[in-house]
Amino acid sequence: MEYLSYLVATGISTGALYALVALGIVVIYKATQVVNFAHGEMFMLGGFFAFTFHVMLGWPYLPSFALAVALAFAVGIAVDRIAFRPLMQRQTLVSVLLVMIGLSFVLKGVARWLWGGKGDYLTFPPLISPEPLSFAGIMVMSQQLVVLGAACAVMIVFALFFKLTRAGRFMQATADNQKAAKLVGLRTDRVYMYTFGVGSAVAAAAAVLMAPLTLLYPDIGFMLFIKAFAAAVLGGLTSIPGAVVGGFLIGIIEQLAAGYLHTAMQEVAAFIVIMIVMIFIPTGLFGLGRVRKV
Amino acid sequence: MRRRYQVAAITAALAFGTGLAAGTASADAHTQGITDTEVRIGAFGPFGGPVYLYGKLVMNGVEAVFDKVNAEGGVHGRNVVLVREDDNCKPEGAIAAVKKLAYDQKVFAIIGGACSNATLASVPELEKSGIPMVVNSAVADGITDPPKTNIYTTQLTSGVESRAQIDFALARGAKKMAVVRMTDAWAMARYNPLIAYAEEKGIEFVENLELGVDANDATPQALKLKGAGVDAVIMILYPKPGAVLIRDSLKIGSNPLWVGQTAINDFVAFEKQVGVPDALTNFVTITATAYQPGDPEVKEWTDRVKALFPNDELSVFNMNGIGSAQVLVEALRKAGRDLTRDGFLAAMGDMDMEVDVYAGPIKCQAGVSHQCNQHPGWLALEDGKVVKLQ
Repeated sequence: MEYLSYLVATGISTGALYALVALGIVVIYKATQVVNFAHGEMFMLGGFFAFTFHVMLGWPYLPSFALAVALAFAVGIAVDRIAFRPLMQRQTLVSVLLVMIGLSFVLKGVARWLWGGKGDYLTFPPLISPEPLSFAGIMVMSQQLVVLGAACAVMIVFALFFKLTRAGRFMQATADNQKAAKLVGLRTDRVYMYTFGVGSAVAAAAAVLMAPLTLLYPDIGFMLFIKAFAAAVLGGLTSIPGAVVGGFLIGIIEQLAAGYLHTAMQEVAAFIVIMIVMIFIPTGLFGLGRVRKV
Repeated sequence: MRRRYQVAAITAALAFGTGLAAGTASADAHTQGITDTEVRIGAFGPFGGPVYLYGKLVMNGVEAVFDKVNAEGGVHGRNVVLVREDDNCKPEGAIAAVKKLAYDQKVFAIIGGACSNATLASVPELEKSGIPMVVNSAVADGITDPPKTNIYTTQLTSGVESRAQIDFALARGAKKMAVVRMTDAWAMARYNPLIAYAEEKGIEFVENLELGVDANDATPQALKLKGAGVDAVIMILYPKPGAVLIRDSLKIGSNPLWVGQTAINDFVAFEKQVGVPDALTNFVTITATAYQPGDPEVKEWTDRVKALFPNDELSVFNMNGIGSAQVLVEALRKAGRDLTRDGFLAAMGDMDMEVDVYAGPIKCQAGVSHQCNQHPGWLALEDGKVVKLQ
């Protein structure tokens, strides 16, 4: 029983990371119908921004955190202006996806150039004590609890943002029906721009919280993106609660597969989940309902 | 009859011309890359991608040595110039890089080879070209075993390290050993000789587990190790998965003897990566380098690397480049002013020298042992300080 408890508890804390990254993917997809393949690199950049301010320049944690998130927001907006908007104006969705993949490689190259000579895996100081804590009889890393709490907080903030704010409603309206949103006078291009910014900012926040556990290196983004994408697909790709639930489920599935089947399954469990979901529940757990023929 | 003489004459002329050309090309090849003022040395490895550290940073270390040598007047009056080629850590990239360096850039010798698979793939082309090669990062035994006339390595090879890991655990009295490994080419180059040596020694691993290079969690592995009651874990892991494994084992109160290898030999960085106080009390690791970045003994190289590459902090990757470049420069010196390939290879084949950064001497024996580094050093943490074990 203790064995299972450890696997589930660890799955939840690892899943919180996937959920945080998946949130950004879903927010952008919801508004633009584009999967941002460079989203993992936004996470990576956010982490390196915070590393620069907090570790290299010695600034306090909170201003470093805020600046990293703000810079990531700016990078997200730049991505929209440079890569997304010009191509979407020509209605070339495939080109947008290719550009996003290309962008991920460019951003990794930039990171290697800027931070690459400082070691293989850079460390980032944890927000609280690095000692493990006993939680309901299970030992967990305290930073994992921070990430878990942050994931829940971000999810709630997002839900409130979409329900209660004008910007959130604009984003939802644009996501639901782009043409109708334009007809009622919404500036959809501006909505897209802020969506990219918000998505990147969330990724950066996740990176700063997770960096003490994941360490920082230029290639950190890809595998996280894949796992988070699996989480988003499992959750339905358009559902924010779905992304969070999907993240937790992927985290737990990975742990159980590695714990009870073989440790080699830990890395491939997410890919298997993507395949199974695509085959049996293509709309995901919380996605839009099945299209009915009339 | 007359026509037959004409054909014979033309054939003879062609044969003579071809032979002359071949002879000239051969003579050129033996001295290519050398002028009165410089000798050009090629290098190949990845400039980007996840393993750029084994390419770009090692080359930066090589360049730091060449820069120092040139500032002191060069080797026999010649400046040593480094020509870099990116192989993307891919077999086809390494073959193309060797061809470009040997036939297009016409360098005198090559120093480098970062990725084992890529470097292994380039061996036939290296042998065909005859160009002298000093390997400084790739660890696969097959690159230099059996010995190839023109290829030497100054890096500890995978077989040497794997045997040393088991020997160390046995020497510490380990009864229940486990192995935790990645599954890429780098890891398999170590894992296969490890298993072969374990069989030779009659050792059966009680757990044989995998861990991904990007793993953020190793709780299942830690639980299995604890459950099996292992007293020594052979780690065929990069620093990140290694750090995650130790962290998650400590989390559940398990701390067996951890036996690392050269991929985890920056102790100071590794302790930070694990991130738990006093995490490395049971951790030992192999080092090819005698010092840690930050040690006063390597301050000169810290300053030199920083001056040339302001973004770099001296790392073990730089140091691998520094050590191999010092060996190459020594071979150039011993070969004399009338430098040829044969002279250089003769000098390499008789090399016996101490290097600023390696844990042991570099000894090569032409035709017998081209794996010139047979001295793994061991590092451990005692009273909060990194110490070399005897």
